[in-house]
Amino acid sequence: MKWLARRFERRKQDLTEELRTHIEMSVADRISRGESPDDARAGAQREFGNIAVIQDVTHNKWSWTRLERLHNDLRFALRVLGRSRGFTLTVVLTLAIGVGATCAMFTVVDRVLLRPLRFEDPARLVAITELGKRGSDQSGNAVYQDIAQWQQRSRSFEAFSFYDENNRRVWFLDGKNGTVHVSSASISANLFPMLGLKPALGRSFLPQDSGGSVKPADAHAVILSDAAWREDFGADPGVVGSVTHMNGESLTIVAVMPRAVVFPYGSGDWNGLPVVWRPIVLGDADLTRDHHAPHYWVLARLRKQTSFISAETELRTIQSDVAKAYTDPFDRDHVSSVALERYAHSLIGDKVRKATLSLFGASALLWLISCVNSASLMFARCTTRQREFAVRGALGAGRVRILQQLLVESAILSVLSSILGLVFALAILKFFEHGLVTQFNIHQTLRPDLSFMVTLMLLTVLGTFSVALWPAFGVLRTRFEAELRQGSPQAGMSRSQRRIGIALVIAQISLSITLLVGCGLLLRTIYALRHVDLGFRTEHVLVASMTIPSYRFGGRDMTDDFYQPLIDRVKRSPGVESASLMTEVPLGHTFSMIFTMRPSGHSDIDLQRREMKTQFRAVGPEMQQVFGFRMLRGRFFNQGDTATSPAVVVVNRAFVKAYFGDDRDPSAILGESLIGFDKKRRSTVVGVLDDERQVSVAEPSQPEMEISIPQITPDSMFYKAAEGVGMDVAVRTSNEPSQLIPELRNVLRASSPDLAASTFTTMDEVVEESFGSQKLAADLLEIFAGSALLLTLAGIYGVLAYFVAQRQRELGIRIALGAQQSHIRGLIIKQACWMLGTGLVFGIGLAYLSSRWLKVFLYDVKASDPWTGVAVAILLFAGGIAASLVPARRAASVNPVEMIRTE
Amino acid sequence: MPGTPPYKNKVEVLQGTLDMLILQTLQWGPMHGYGMVQAIRLKSSEVLQIETGSLYPALHRLERQRWVKSEWKITDSKQRAKVYKITALGKEQLLSDHERWQTMVRAIAAIMGPEKAQS
Repeated sequence: MKWLARRFERRKQDLTEELRTHIEMSVADRISRGESPDDARAGAQREFGNIAVIQDVTHNKWSWTRLERLHNDLRFALRVLGRSRGFTLTVVLTLAIGVGATCAMFTVVDRVLLRPLRFEDPARLVAITELGKRGSDQSGNAVYQDIAQWQQRSRSFEAFSFYDENNRRVWFLDGKNGTVHVSSASISANLFPMLGLKPALGRSFLPQDSGGSVKPADAHAVILSDAAWREDFGADPGVVGSVTHMNGESLTIVAVMPRAVVFPYGSGDWNGLPVVWRPIVLGDADLTRDHHAPHYWVLARLRKQTSFISAETELRTIQSDVAKAYTDPFDRDHVSSVALERYAHSLIGDKVRKATLSLFGASALLWLISCVNSASLMFARCTTRQREFAVRGALGAGRVRILQQLLVESAILSVLSSILGLVFALAILKFFEHGLVTQFNIHQTLRPDLSFMVTLMLLTVLGTFSVALWPAFGVLRTRFEAELRQGSPQAGMSRSQRRIGIALVIAQISLSITLLVGCGLLLRTIYALRHVDLGFRTEHVLVASMTIPSYRFGGRDMTDDFYQPLIDRVKRSPGVESASLMTEVPLGHTFSMIFTMRPSGHSDIDLQRREMKTQFRAVGPEMQQVFGFRMLRGRFFNQGDTATSPAVVVVNRAFVKAYFGDDRDPSAILGESLIGFDKKRRSTVVGVLDDERQVSVAEPSQPEMEISIPQITPDSMFYKAAEGVGMDVAVRTSNEPSQLIPELRNVLRASSPDLAASTFTTMDEVVEESFGSQKLAADLLEIFAGSALLLTLAGIYGVLAYFVAQRQRELGIRIALGAQQSHIRGLIIKQACWMLGTGLVFGIGLAYLSSRWLKVFLYDVKASDPWTGVAVAILLFAGGIAASLVPARRAASVNPVEMIRTE
Repeated sequence: MPGTPPYKNKVEVLQGTLDMLILQTLQWGPMHGYGMVQAIRLKSSEVLQIETGSLYPALHRLERQRWVKSEWKITDSKQRAKVYKITALGKEQLLSDHERWQTMVRAIAAIMGPEKAQS
């Protein structure tokens, strides 16, 4: 900037000197011709003409003029803004908060909802699920026999492909540098071609026929994802064709997929592991329709020009026929119809969609408040500057020139606030990264969207500044003299201008009430969640989640050879009070099992029980010591329950309720023989646990059945599922749980090197994590609503302070005529109360309309909770009146003598 | 007012010919602004008087177009002055201006005829 100014200055001086020498030469000439020096100078100057005008005209020939004028405006604007630092800082901060928050939340919405799938023509991809009269069976996807029927009969689809997520379990793959964990999905041969995906290296699975099955020759093939290829095989291009091992099975790598390929959506999220794909080779089990047949998720591609509705109608008609092939009436009821959903849509749960949109809505509200706030600031400022504009106009500044000056000022403000807003957006995204990523399944990096930022800023500038600068334009349109003649600098606002100022403040108040109510509701939700009786202790409990390398234990009894020594070793570690194994701790998200009861009888009660789904856990007998579950009836497992003793199960109160209905005494279930345990034993119920929140803090207790790990033998029907996939170790510690992590890790490593990669969390963290979405929303809304409150209070203060400054003369006269100070103070506070009251009426209405958007987050509090409204009203009134005290005091202390003297 | 010819006796420089006159003057050698005014006045036998109000804007415009360039020099009379010089680009321009001028003069002469117009 400085060098530019110097440059302009030098050129100007240059020109002045050039013209001066011209005159000097002329004078010298004239003197040499015999004129007197005085005459000569006068003559030369007369001949030369108006120096200033010539200088100006010449100066205009330079190409720099426009730039120079801009430079002048810029300098002037910076000086003006620098002089009123408070104003500048407030406007920049206000806009930055609004723009930053909105930009951050837009980034989230964009990543979650707007990013199109990177598949060919994703609009034609649909997910198909079978569903029955009782709605969809969550694990309910289709058996191959049904898929084959669809393929043969339907005309609306180009292709049907299917896949299996393999229970989202962790697999052990032999990479270049030893065994690593991966996720694995099994896919039909036509899946990648249907999605329009081609391998980066190698070939796709070989199709057996058009049905999607993979050739048996390819049964032991595997395709690597880019991540697996890079992380585990060092991006070696020669890897295709080589043999590797997964869970002990030898597999041939046939292809590597390109970097962007993620399938199934969210698979990278299952365990945070790279994915590999196995082929689906159809077998004998696929020829049946009973519950032993493999069930697949189905994706299909609509033909071009086929509408979604007509495809759905067609498939439903076919399905009603397909369902007849089910001989068991109970099974038939589960598959009587199909549901189609656009694939892109099916990936994002309704809850997530609502959650992201409502958070985005909240940030947009904050943006609106910041716009209104800065508009009212600018507005007040412009009205005070009317005289400045009038003076400049009278001195010959063109209207365009004054306008340009104002535009330059707003441009500076918006550039500054954009930069600061970007910093805010980055900070919000960074600070909430963990919450956002886990709650909304975001797989791309969260970087603020620059183009959105620019668009938003333009919108802001357009909105805010056009409202604010309007009075300035008004001045430019009228004649300057009128403005100048009005005299006293305190003439100020007209009545209508004051009304606009008040309206802006009321708008701010009502908008921020909306945010405050939302925030209040979420805080109440968090409070309620924290005070839910979980039914177990969480303090001083450390949890290690292990992935079990069961393939290493082929032919051995893991209960005796692996788990018992492991837990004994853990118990002996210093600082451990008690420790227990369990397949998944309550509220955990590692490996949950759901058990579907299938009694074979056909009586009404049996049919009803076939509907029952229950949480299923295999636990150690020490579990009660660790978590302190309450027993309602009977006993928990103890050391006497062994592989040879009679098999026992423990259920919970919700199970009893689901099994017997509401009215039976829980003890009635004791002794009931529920399920077969292994070839020799049937298990009986020995105890009933009191209810506990095992799925989520916000959800009531689900039916649950527990078996004891020491009782499980390799021939038990539960052995593979319960012991072979994942297991948690819960440890009750005498000290701070996290201190024990290094020691425990060593113990696990000693049991099996694969366990060194286990993850450790404290139970308190698990609980906290389980109400993550509410916590995230509450934290974000606290920030948004807090900023909104501050902005609004600043707005109230600003407007009142401005009024007081404007009315000083009037107030002075009033005081001179005998008005009490308290009366003057009351005048200002009354004004504040009036604005607050009006804002409150509108705000509560708005809040009532908008808080339904928050329903998805709320727990134990209604969206129209009156107490939250009252609390918010009190908070706002207290804040608003506090903000008005300073201007009120200033008004009361106006010195009447001074005021009248200025006349 | 001795020494100052009445303004009306001067012939106004024809529109668009000022650039050409300046360039032509500079053909004779580098010169400063005052020198140019004097040179043109003498050459035209005191008929053409260049207004400084037109000269300097024109000079700066020509410089921007790179037909002339300028430099501060000490004159014979020991005075610092900004001296202008014609550039190669300016010479080309002068040539084409000159041709156009001659065409124009012939055309106007053909219209006006050899006789003097009667008043």
